Formats: sequence, C-alpha cells, structure tokens
Amino acid sequence: MRQTDVVVIGGGPAGMAAAIESARNGAKTIIIERNEVLGGILMQCIHNGFGLAYFKEELTGPEYAYKFRELVKKEKNITVMTSTFVTKIKGKTVTIVNSSGIDEIEAGAIVLAMGARERTAANILLQGTRPAGVLTAGQAQKMTNIDGKLPGKNIVILGSGDIGLIMARRLTLEGARVKAVLEINKTTSGLKRNIVQCLEDFKIPLLMQTTIVEVVGENRVEGVYISAVDDNYNFVGEKKFVKCDTVILSVGLIPETDLVDFADINTRTNGPVVDDFMETSAKGVFACGNFLHVHDLVDNVTLESMDAGANAADFALAGCKKGKKFCVIAGNNISYANPSFVHSGDGIAKIRFRLKSNVSKKWIRVVSKDEVLAKKFVMAGLPGEMQTLEVSREKIKGDILLEVEG
Amino acid sequence: MMKNTNNNDMFDYVIVGAGIVGSSIFSALARSGKSVCMIDKALDVGTGAAKANSGLVHAGFDAKPGTLKAKLNVLGNKMYPLEAKRLGLSIKKTGAYVVGNDKEKLEELLARGKTNGVDGLHLLSGSELKAKLPMLNPEIKYALFAENAYVISPYMFTICLAEEGIVNGGRVVLGFDAKRIKKHGDIFTISDGFDEIKTKYIINSSGAGYNEIANMIGSEIYELEFRRGEYFVLDSTEKNLVPSTVFPLPSKAGKGVLVTPTVDGNILVGPSSQLSDDITKTTAEGLSFVRSQASNMIPSINFKKTIRIFSGIRTVVGDDFVIEKSREMPNVINIAGICSPGLSAAPAIALYVLNLLGLDTKIPAAKKIKPYVALSSLPVSKKNELIARNPLYGKIVCKCEGISEGEIVDALSRPLRVVSVDGIKRRTRTGMGRCQGGFCLSKTIELIAKKNNITLFDVVKENKGSNIIVSGVKKS
Ligand SMILES: Cc1cc2nc3c(=O)[nH]c(=O)nc-3n(C[C@H](O)[C@H](O)[C@H](O)COP(=O)(O)OP(=O)(O)OC[C@H]3O[C@@H](n4cnc5c(N)ncnc54)[C@H](O)[C@@H]3O)c2cc1C
Ligand SMILES: Cc1cc2nc3c(=O)[nH]c(=O)nc-3n(C[C@H](O)[C@H](O)[C@H](O)COP(=O)(O)OP(=O)(O)OC[C@H]3O[C@@H](n4cnc5c(N)ncnc54)[C@H](O)[C@@H]3O)c2cc1C
Repeated sequence: MRQTDVVVIGGGPAGMAAAIESARNGAKTIIIERNEVLGGILMQCIHNGFGLAYFKEELTGPEYAYKFRELVKKEKNITVMTSTFVTKIKGKTVTIVNSSGIDEIEAGAIVLAMGARERTAANILLQGTRPAGVLTAGQAQKMTNIDGKLPGKNIVILGSGDIGLIMARRLTLEGARVKAVLEINKTTSGLKRNIVQCLEDFKIPLLMQTTIVEVVGENRVEGVYISAVDDNYNFVGEKKFVKCDTVILSVGLIPETDLVDFADINTRTNGPVVDDFMETSAKGVFACGNFLHVHDLVDNVTLESMDAGANAADFALAGCKKGKKFCVIAGNNISYANPSFVHSGDGIAKIRFRLKSNVSKKWIRVVSKDEVLAKKFVMAGLPGEMQTLEVSREKIKGDILLEVEG
Repeated sequence: MMKNTNNNDMFDYVIVGAGIVGSSIFSALARSGKSVCMIDKALDVGTGAAKANSGLVHAGFDAKPGTLKAKLNVLGNKMYPLEAKRLGLSIKKTGAYVVGNDKEKLEELLARGKTNGVDGLHLLSGSELKAKLPMLNPEIKYALFAENAYVISPYMFTICLAEEGIVNGGRVVLGFDAKRIKKHGDIFTISDGFDEIKTKYIINSSGAGYNEIANMIGSEIYELEFRRGEYFVLDSTEKNLVPSTVFPLPSKAGKGVLVTPTVDGNILVGPSSQLSDDITKTTAEGLSFVRSQASNMIPSINFKKTIRIFSGIRTVVGDDFVIEKSREMPNVINIAGICSPGLSAAPAIALYVLNLLGLDTKIPAAKKIKPYVALSSLPVSKKNELIARNPLYGKIVCKCEGISEGEIVDALSRPLRVVSVDGIKRRTRTGMGRCQGGFCLSKTIELIAKKNNITLFDVVKENKGSNIIVSGVKKS
C-alpha cells in the first residue's frame, strides 16, 4: 500500500496535463499508464495537426506527446508508473497490477483520464459474416503506424469519424484503394479540414446517407452490400455490391468507464457527470479528456485536463471551496453541454459543448433568469467541433441555459 | 503450412471432425489406451457448432422419451460435473426455467422429464416465481424450474478434451481437409491431396460436413437440414440480468429464444431458428426476432450493451440423433444430426460409441491436462505468487477482460498448436470483451507469430485464408 495526494489514471495527453497542474499546485502526484510510454492515443497519430492552439505550432501526435513527457519529467512532484494497469477503484484506493505484482495506492484525490475506446462492429450490429478484414479505424491506424503493416488493399470505410478520414488518406498513400467512405447521417462526424484534406484531395468518394447492409466473405472479406437510407435509417432503393477485402469502421468513441461504477454517467456523452470543477458525483474524483467526453482537438484536452489536475490538487490539500450549485441546461440546437452543474463564487466556469446541426452566423449564449451571462458569435459551426464559452461565476445566480439564438 | 503427418501414419481409429462430439470420443479412446487420431479441416478444434451455441447443459426434460436425445442428454447431464472437474474447467449450476402461461404444457414437460429420469424439477407460480425471477414479464404466470442445468464454455470443453486426448497418446491433425477416402483390405486411407492417414476404423463426426465425408467413405447419406441460430452477447456489466437460464415453452422449431448467464459472466440472448444454407451469418430478421422474443420474457434487457453478435448452424436429421454402425461399410461409425442437446449429450455419446465399437465403457483413470489459469479469477496472494514466478502475468494485454501476456503465452505453449487470433480468444478471452480486440489485436498477432516461429502475415483470424495483415507499409 502506498500513499499520495493525487493519483492520475491514464497517461495520455489528458493525464499528463492533469498531473503537471496537480504537481505545480503542490500535490504529490502519481500517474499510472498501462502502456510502456506516456502519450496515449497520440502515439499512433503520426499526422500533423496537433498543438496549433496550445504550442502555436503544427506538431504530429508523437511530437505533442514528447513535449508533454518532457514537462512531466521536470516536475519533482510526479511519479510515473508505466506498464501498470489499474484494475479497481474503490473510494480513493486504486488497485494496480504490474510486473512486480498487485499493489494499492491510497490517494487524497483521483483524476480519471483513461480515454475512450472505439465503437465496434457489434455496437452498430453490423450484419453478415464475420471474416478477417473487419476492423476499427484505430486498430488499422495502430497496425499501419506502429507495426508498419497494412490491413488490406481494397477498402470500404464505414463512418466519417476523424480517425476513419485520416486512415483513408494514410492507406491511400500506402497504395491501398479506398473505394468509398459511407456515412449514414446527413452530416459528417469528422472535422471539415479532414474531409477536404483526406478525402477530396485524394478523390475518395464520400457517400452520405449510405450504410452497409451486409458483410460478405467466409474467411476474408469479399465485399459488402451497401444501400442508401432515409432520414429514419430505413434502407431505400436497391442495394449494391462493392467488392473489397477490408471494412474499416469509424463510428465513434465511447469513454472507457468500465472501472467506474461509483459515479453517475451522462447518457449523452457516456462519460461521467461532472460539475464546473471537473468533479464527478463521487467526491474527490475528477475526470477529463476523452474519458469525460470525446474531443476532436488535443489542445482542448490539455486545457480541460489542467483544470481537473489543479482542482484535484486543491481538493487533496485543502478541499475545494464551492458556492451554490446550479444546473446547466442544453437548449436550442445544443447536443450536449459539459459540465452538468456550475457553482456561484469566484473565478470562471468553462462550458464545453457541441452543436446539434450546422450553424452559420449565429450567436450562442448562456442565459440565466433572462440575463445573458456570456455569448459568442459563430461564423460556421459544425457538430463535429467542440465549442467553449466562459462564464464568470459571480454572475451565476440560478440554473443556466445554453442555446443558439433564433 | 507445415507438414501435418508422417507418411504411413497408421491408427486403429480416426475421428473426422473435431467438434464437441469428435473430441469427446477422441479423449475417451485415448484415455482407454487406443491408437487414435482426430482430424479436422479447420486450424483449431471446435470451430463448427462447438463455438456457436448456447453453452447449456440441459437437464433433459424436453426430449421425447425413448429417443437417443433423451437418453444421452440425461446421462450426459449427470456426467458433466465430473467431466469439468477432471479437465479443470469451470461449470456453473445455474438451473433453468421454462416460462409460460400454458400450465398444462408445463405439467406435460414435468411429466416427460420424470419419464426421462430427470430429478429436481419444480413447477412454480405466483409469489414464489416472482421472488425467484423478479425480472420476468409480470404477465407470465408459470415456470418449470430444473435444478440440474449447467452453463459451461462449449469451446473450452472441446479444447480441453482434445488436449486430454493428446496427453494420453492421441494425435490431432488440423488443417486436414479430407478429399479422398479409399479402402484396401481392412485399411482406410484418408488423403487431403498432400498427406495420407491410414486407419482401421473411421468415426464420422463432421457435423455439417457429414454427407461429404460419408460420400467419400461410401457410408449412409442422410437428408441434413441446417438451421441457423443468431445471438447477442451482452457486456459483463449486465451479468445480474438473470440468475439462471430462462426459456419460453419449446416449439417445433426448437427450444426458443432464451436468456442466460454464461460461465464467463456475460449474458447470452438467442438463438433464432431459420432454415438456411450452412453459412454462419447474422441477419436483420434473425436479430430482430431474437430481440422481440427475448424482450417479451425479460423486458429489462438492454441491447445497447451488446458486445458481439454471432450465429451458429444446427445440423438436423429428422427427430433424433443418428449414432450407428454403418450398414454399408464395415468399421465405420456414422454420427449425424447432432443438434441440440448435442453439447449436453456429448460425454454420453462418447460412451455410446465405445459400446458400438465393442470397447469397455469403463474408462481407466488417465493423465490430466494442466488446467487453464485465469489471472483475474485468482485471489491476490495467488496472483502475486504467479507474477513473482513469471512477471509476464503482470503485463496486461487485454484490458477489457484483464488478460495478461503470461496467460496468452501459456495458451500458446500447450499440447495443441494455436495459429489463430480466434484460437487465442477462445482459450484466454483476449479480445472477447467490450472493445473486441480494439487495443490488443496487434499484440496478440505478434505473440502468435513469435511463439509459432511464423511471420505476422501468416497469422490468421480463424481458418486458412483469414489472414489479418496483407503487406508491409512502403519503406520510407
Ligand atoms: C486517431 C485520432 C486522431 C486525432 N487527430 C487529432 C488531430 O489531428 N489534432 C488534434 O488536436 N487532436 C486529434 N485527436 C484528438 C485528441 O488527440 C484526443 O482526443 C486525445 O488524445 C485524447 O486524450 P486522452 O488523454 O483523453 O485519451 P488517450 O490518449 O486515449 O489516453 C488515455 C490513456 O489511459 C490509459 N488507460 C486507460 N485505462 C487504463 C487503466 N485501467 N490503467 C492504466 N492506464 C489506462 C490508456 O492506455 C491511454 O494511454 C485525434 C484523436 C484520435 C483518436
Ligand atoms: C444455435 C445453437 C444452439 C445450441 N445450443 C445448445 C445448448 O445450449 N446445449 C446443447 O446441449 N446443445 C446445443 N446445441 C447443439 C450443439 O452445439 C451441437 O450438438 C454440437 O456442437 C455438435 O457437435 P459436433 O461435434 O457434432 O459438431 P461440430 O462442433 O460442428 O463439429 C464438426 C467438425 O467437423 C469438421 N468438419 C466438417 N467437415 C469436415 C471435413 N470435410 N473434413 C474434416 N473436418 C470436417 C468441422 O470443421 C467441425 O469442427 C446448439 C446448437 C446450435 C447451432
């Protein structure tokens, strides 16, 4: 049994940022990561596009992770435990296993930063046979970028999530043929810049409101039947056979909350319910990064997680001081908002949210009791992009509503 | 592929088809000290119906009295606890409920069970039923409860039996797709076009492939009917949904859509029953049928927690199992139409076959296999002991199921060679959890390649041609 002020579970960008801020606020901090190095999902994202906001330069995933690993090293208050797996969290005690055996760590506060897993073929009830050659975009990415191996030559990608779009480009550059990207909805789930840079620049067809009816092939994928769908996802028109040897799924991420049966879960995000201190319904347990809700930009992960780390340190060392608690309500055209609760008092509460549908030239605002507490103008907003609004806590005197005007 | 056999390999008995039935007979013959070989066209044992069924050891009340199904199910059921113990395999006595509003039908089942020699049957209703199955649709009024029903892992059972046969001197040849069977004098020669195996007796337990093999032998052909059964597997978070197996009243098409805990702590919902070719696919009709039938019994099932869908094929011949000496060709045993309750009956089928072969059905005590150890099931002190002895047990590879590298390496170091990712999945549960191998696939492929001394390109998902990696990336 060991003791510490703060334990951070998960050593991706979220965990690293949380640990750094926790340590800087004076807390003895242990960061636990199951892989051999810190970096999380970034280690397999060898494309550019990380750090524009935080470091003001365009980095690859591993470069971004490297910069943070260096920052972690500088903090005397941080102990890093890699190749270590958390098997249980009970109260503030964390059970770990590594090659030295089983151990427990008792902490003053916990930060959950375990990231997200990909939705699988079973999660979307993909039908037909179950041959080799059906894999998730993250699996394909790991195989290609870390192991240097290709999962297939003729590929159909289901879902327009960012990882799928990036893999469409990556595999095309490797000489594979991406026959199409299928999206069941009317809007893409990936970032606009990825649609342009990964599909349009390579002339890869993007078929909207289209999905796979059935996978065919006994040992290896031999093709898929695809069909258009209407707004209620019913198949319309004739189904078409597309020959391919690989189906890659990019159909979303789900926060890895399996270890967490002690905190309330938000049914919209599948992550835990948190307040404006990033604290879950379990006292002294904080959450951030993809574990809290799925992010599209690592810079946002970093910023959010720094807050979680700082608050966890406060809690462990002195206990957070919070004012009165109020609800955050997602109003017109807001898909969800995090946190679910805010407090009155000092400082700033940051509201992170996603839009339900495309928005152009509109104000988004936070209102409480007919008073506008904060607002921002959006030129072009997509559901794929996370947005932030900051509200000064001294203005909060009741439940707050977040909405797109008009 | 490596060469499977030595020229002039000669056995007294060859079993064609390494399913539950074949493996049960294989182990029984090997433990009886016989010269025996089991072949299968697949690269692992148990890849047919063995890997895709409900995993239930039925009590035996619904088979028609006097049939082989009834007799062998009831006997098999009684044998199971000892079989599992001998193999070091988990088995759970969960019991089973048949629920419905037709009280007469349930009483009929109860009476039939008694005729078949099944103990521990009870008719429940009212508050007693409600206390036992609070999650049952309140419109359902009656249930027949069978105490002596178990859940096991059907593929682990098959694997362990095959290993047991090997440690007792039997031989397993996988990836052997029989193409020709010739008889000269008393000796059969089975060939796959590359290698030959010679034998005095053939036991045809090739499930869906029965007629193909019977054709080569010149033994009886049967009209086979294939019925596909589709399933949902739910996340272990749902494990408390039902304490026991819950069935509807059986119909002509089968035992109906059931909801059951599995021995590994998931929930299984299914199967459908559709006439089909023998392709194990899932379909919209099958799945929606299962979903609506099951929800009628247990309204609180959360299908959003699905972690896997799959299907299996029942091979049916008329109303009963066929297990007989061939009349057309001496020294051949025909085993056909082993649909449900084939798993439950398997240990008894093995004894029945020994008897048909004129052998003693009292099997002497024999060598045991080393039991599979699941790290996650051990108490802390035992875990620490294991990790101290071999630190690989402290390296978690599959995070959903908490499987360590040590367990995977162990599965790769046993009597049966494993070259497939699904083979590792069945033995260790790596990749069986909610992420379905999202995080551990690469590592599993690497370990399989290393241990077998093959390249990553040669590692397959299941059968020949199911390679996962197609090429390397461009050199930069
Ligand atoms: C493929 C892909 C492409 C992206 N592209 C971009 C881009 O171009 N630009 C950009 O800015 N952002 C991009 N993002 C978004 C951003 O990088 C991610 O949102 C961010 O990395 C999430 O960080 P995280 O720390 O929350 O999660 P992760 O990076 O997933 O880290 C979680 C860590 O927790 C560990 N862990 C989990 N459970 C346990 C346990 N029980 N015990 C111990 N350790 C555990 C895991 O091993 C993992 O290392 C991309 C994301 C992905 C997936
Ligand atoms: C949906 C479903 C649910 C079921 N549920 C239950 C249950 O809960 N309880 C129960 O008791 N029973 C159940 N059963 C029945 C049980 O699964 C079967 O009875 C049992 O698996 C049959 O075993 P087998 O060895 O005959 O066939 P299989 O396991 O199919 O084995 C046949 C083997 O022969 C091999 N083979 C085929 N052709 C050739 C060839 N040409 N050359 C070499 N090898 C060949 C195949 O590869 C295969 O490995 C269920 C069946 C299904 C389909």
